Order: sequence, then structure tokens, then C-alpha cells
Amino acid sequence: MDFKYDKHNKYHRAVRSLLIIAISMVLFVEIWWVLSILANTPAVPSPLETWNALIDLINNGDSITQKSLGQYVGSSMATFLKGFLLALVVAIPIGLILGTFKTLNAFANPIIEVLRPIAPIAWAPILILAINYSTGPMLVVFVGIFFPLLTNVVFGVSKIDGSLVDAAKTLGASNSQIFMKVLMPSTVPYIMNGVKIGLGIGWMCIVAAELYAPTLAGIGFYLSEQATLGYWPGAFAAIVVIAVLGLLTTGVAEYIHKIITKRMGIDV
Amino acid sequence: MTGDNEQGEMIREGPAYRSKDRVRADRTDELYKDIPEGDVLMSIKDLRVVYQTDDTKTVAVDDFTLDVKKGELISIVGPSGCGKTTILRAIAGLLQPTSGKITIGDKECTAPGSDRGMVFQDFALFPWRSVRKNVEFGMEIAGVPKEEREQRADRYIKAVGLERFADSRVHELSGGMKQRVGIARALVMHPAVILMDEPFGALDAQTRNIMQEELVRILAKTERTILFVTHSVDEAVYISDRIVILTKRPATILEVVDVPWPRPRDRASPDFVQLRKHILEELEKENVMDN
Repeated sequence: MDFKYDKHNKYHRAVRSLLIIAISMVLFVEIWWVLSILANTPAVPSPLETWNALIDLINNGDSITQKSLGQYVGSSMATFLKGFLLALVVAIPIGLILGTFKTLNAFANPIIEVLRPIAPIAWAPILILAINYSTGPMLVVFVGIFFPLLTNVVFGVSKIDGSLVDAAKTLGASNSQIFMKVLMPSTVPYIMNGVKIGLGIGWMCIVAAELYAPTLAGIGFYLSEQATLGYWPGAFAAIVVIAVLGLLTTGVAEYIHKIITKRMGIDV
Repeated sequence: MTGDNEQGEMIREGPAYRSKDRVRADRTDELYKDIPEGDVLMSIKDLRVVYQTDDTKTVAVDDFTLDVKKGELISIVGPSGCGKTTILRAIAGLLQPTSGKITIGDKECTAPGSDRGMVFQDFALFPWRSVRKNVEFGMEIAGVPKEEREQRADRYIKAVGLERFADSRVHELSGGMKQRVGIARALVMHPAVILMDEPFGALDAQTRNIMQEELVRILAKTERTILFVTHSVDEAVYISDRIVILTKRPATILEVVDVPWPRPRDRASPDFVQLRKHILEELEKENVMDN
């Protein structure tokens, strides 16, 4: 065959990276298969068993609770979105304020540094049991997204180009105009960076939090239900669903990040 | 905003500038239209800038007094690191001098504002705005209606030769083009005085010469009062009506040279070469004294 790979050809590059992804996925499934044979326990089902369970889940839903896959995923997504939006609404203003007022930041920083290293999941039992089953998981997601977002916004404000502020001043901008027309836009790429990191962490949090919250009936609950019953292929199917949704979330975040960075002319 | 910078904290004697004193009007040159061309428009009196670090005080600028006439272009040259930019930033109000008084007409200048437009060495363009939107920034602040804003921006974008790039992003432009935007952004506001802080310092030699010619060409059409800081003596002789030579730190005025020739000028003419040599010798003496 007379085919030569040309790295300057856009389509060649695209086909090449798709091929690499495909081969890597096939390899992954192979390794999984081998491991499931070696493990020789029902707790590690083969890819085929998992696939069948996944198809069954898609077609027939959960035979125990009579809920469909869409209901599980929808519930998880709703919790996730609520936590995410709450984090946006809270973290961005606080970050802009802390970034602008240095002394206030000096006061807040020790508190943030005490709370930040705590794994968001650690809050799950407390938030869920102390508050309630429906808002608890949402708050766990909130905690997961809040800190990376906050630190990125504060960092973004500190990274603002001083000469842009000077330019705005010599063009007559008041402090509030500088805030709206210079500070906010130049922080946007950093906000997006925080969102990107936060989405990944938030998605990890939601599933973990749902393990504690059966009434929410999210995909995390389905996972724990199937595992508790010893129906391992079902549990693995849930993990596949979680992985795919996680990929989609980060993919969307990457895409938005790319567009916004380009639009703002600042790369971070 | 305090006057802190890497040199230490600024010492100031008077009350701090208030941000509410920031002038944000459009066409501040109209305010001084009664002052005839050639009369004093801006006067800088006894400007003094002192920095304080933990244990030492540094006098950056001392006893700097200068009258700027309406319609003239004054260059400030001096040994490197002598405080040229500090003087310009003090006039702009971006740093508050320790003492001294800056007035335009009868009005004392304090906080930065649109009456003292500025062109920056690093361009300082807003990367999320297009060329046109950058030029419109000051008019947006001043509340100029959208339609007039766009018309005026387009006129100035054309004047600096960027009409094909009006909708481009800043990062798509070359250094010389970026500074054209910077100049258009300052000119379009019609400030009483324009301050240029080594505007062509970041450009390569060839682009630099082209930009100097362009500036002279633009200024030939519109009378502007400009204070121009540069470290290039050649540039100063090429564009200025007067050249202020500064001493080494603390910066104070060594000599003011008149350059009465019409523009555009011939860099190879004997007068040009002679004046350039004289200024370079003066600066050389300053540098030797430094050692």
C-alpha cells in the first residue's frame, strides 16, 4: 500500500489521533478481560458481562426500583448542576473581592487554607446527615467546585496586567468602571480554568455523595444498590455510565475554556 | 492604588489623590481652547519624587520644573534609569509625587484622567477587545453615544492606517500595529496633553523609524501637545520642538534644547547630526560622572 503519513495534513493528524484512541481503548478492554479471568471472582465481571448489563440497564432500567437509566442520570445531573451553579454564584464574587482587597484576603487566606485540603467527600456524611438527603449531595459538589474556583479567581485578579489598569485610568475610568471593564474580563480565563478543574472534582464528588443518599436515586445510588446485591455486572455498568458522563463533562468544559480563552485573547 | 513599586514605597507630603477626582470627559482640549497656540498650557513646578525602602530613601526626581506650550512636542531624554518614566507617570497621576504641582491651564492635576492621555511602551491594549473596541474604550467611559463612538474610532483607525484591521484582535497585530492602536486610542479622546512613554521602545529599528514618520505625519494634521519620553536621541531630534535633557538620578533638568526646524526632517543634514552629537555628548558626560 502506498500511503505516507503527512503530519502537516489536518485530516491525517485527526485520523492518527482517533486511531491511537481506538487502539488504546481496545487495549484497555483486553487488559480488563485478562484481569477478570485472572481474578476469577464474580466481583470482577468481564467486559462482555458488563456490556450486557449496560444494554439491559439502558433498555429495561432498574428491575428493583423500576427506575430508568435516564431517571438515574437525570437525578445525578440535576444535583451536579445545582452544586455547580451555587459554587459559581458564591465563589466568583468572593474571589473577585478577595483578589481586590489584599488585607481582606490576608484574613481569609488562613481560613481557606485550613478548609481547602479537606477532601470534599469527607463532608458527605456530615452534610447529608446533618442537613438532609436531598441538599447534602448538592453541597458536597459545591464544596468540591468551590475551592478550586475560588483560588483560581483570586489568582486571576492578582495576575491582572497593571498597565491595563493604568491605561484605563488615563482614559478616565472610575474604580467601578475598572472593575467592570478591565478586572472582570481579564479574570474570565482564570474563572474558566477554575471551572474546568472544578467540574472534574465535582463529578467525582456527586457519585461518592450519592452512595450516602439513597432517596436521591442518582447513578451513584444504582452503583451501590447493585454492588450490595452482589450483581457485579450492573455495578460495573454504572461505572461505565459514570465514566462516559465524566468524559462528556470535561470535554464540554475543555471546549468552553478553549473558546473563551480565544475570545478573551488571554491564555492561562 | 498606592505608589508602591519595586523601588520601595513612595513618600508623599500632601493628601492622597482621590479617585473621584479622575477626569473622564471627552475632548478635554476644548476646555483650554482660549489659550493661544504657543502659550503655556501645562506647567510642572518643583516636581520631586522620593522612594522609601526599609532603610534608605531614594530621590528619583528632584526640582523638575517645565512649562509645556500648547501645540508643541517636548521630548525628555536622559541617561538610562534616570527617572524619565517616573516623571511622566507623575504627570499622568499614576504615581503621586512627593511634592510639586502640575497644572493644565488653571486646573491642578491630581488623580489620573482623560485630560492627560497616555501611550504606553508595552501598548497596554485590552486583549479581549477588537482594535475598534480598544479605540472606543475612553469614549465608552466618557459616555459618548455609540454611533458617534464608532464613527470617531473609524476615523482614527484610518488615520493610523489600520482600517483593514478594525475588527481584528490585538494579538493578531504586529508590534508596530499595536502601537498605532495605542496612539489612536489616546488621540481619539482629544486630551489636553498626550504623554508618550517610550512608545516605540519595544519596536525594531525599522518599524521604529516608520512609526516616527507616521507620528510626524499624523501630528502635521492635528495640533497636539505632547510630552514624549525616549531613550533615543535620534528619535528626539527627529520629532521634537524642544528636547529636555535630564541629569542622572535624581533626575533634574540639565538643559533644554530648541529644535526650530520644520518637519519632516532629514536625519543626514549637518544641523541634525550636529545637534544629535551635542545631546549625546551631554548624556555621555552625565554617565561618566555617574562612574
